[in-house]
Amino acid sequence: MKDGILSPAAARVLNLVGMLAMIAVLIGAYVYQFSYRELPCTLCQLQRVAMVAVAFGAAMNVMLGPSPRHYGVCLVSVLFGLAISIRQTLLHINPFFDSKTGLPTLAATSNPPFGQPVFGLHLYVWGVVMFAAVILAVGVVLLFNSQFKANAPEPAWLARLAALSVALLVIVVSLETLTTFMECGFGACPNDGGWDWWIFR
Amino acid sequence: MMTVTFGLFAVSAFFLWQRKSEWGWAAVLIALILGIVIFMGDVDFSANLGVQL
Repeated sequence: MKDGILSPAAARVLNLVGMLAMIAVLIGAYVYQFSYRELPCTLCQLQRVAMVAVAFGAAMNVMLGPSPRHYGVCLVSVLFGLAISIRQTLLHINPFFDSKTGLPTLAATSNPPFGQPVFGLHLYVWGVVMFAAVILAVGVVLLFNSQFKANAPEPAWLARLAALSVALLVIVVSLETLTTFMECGFGACPNDGGWDWWIFR
Repeated sequence: MMTVTFGLFAVSAFFLWQRKSEWGWAAVLIALILGIVIFMGDVDFSANLGVQL
């Protein structure tokens, strides 16, 4: 094949799909937040930060062309997100623990999971699964050197699609900024998962 | 601080979209450092180094 197994254009399309998947997860989290009327906790927000950062790394590949630096952005971000989601999973992994007294207890509701489960798993557990999947996906895509060819031609349809999808990322991240400001202001975010917006206090 | 972190991404994504700016990776690193600072502030280090044992 002229361009190798994975051409620069094909790699950009793969990154575009990955970026849209991340945006879909962020929109899904929004739907969840407003339908259950549960504001995201600090750790939940930090996982969103990591998802935005992964999407941003993919967006750089889409807009500027594939580069090891952009994949590095994805990997560093995913490591951050994985650490946060594992931390939150471990916090809630043992229901027989009273998080207020710091002692074991037989009351299973003393350390309840945070939020409602989705398809049987809580969002922070899905976070572990998703971030691990991103590591696998980036690792597999990095196996193909042919995508890093310099001065590769850029199809016009791909340039238009890239601009549209990055515009969608701009909109979603701007919305995140706005709702985070409404929830937390410029201070610390609440951790109780209620519906207590900072801006309405 | 969380608002600032998301705001940094919003500005970087806007410049990536409009100007194809290449400094976005540095903005991501700064945002992640902010995230680590927020995370450290969220952990209660007074007991068991923040781990519920």
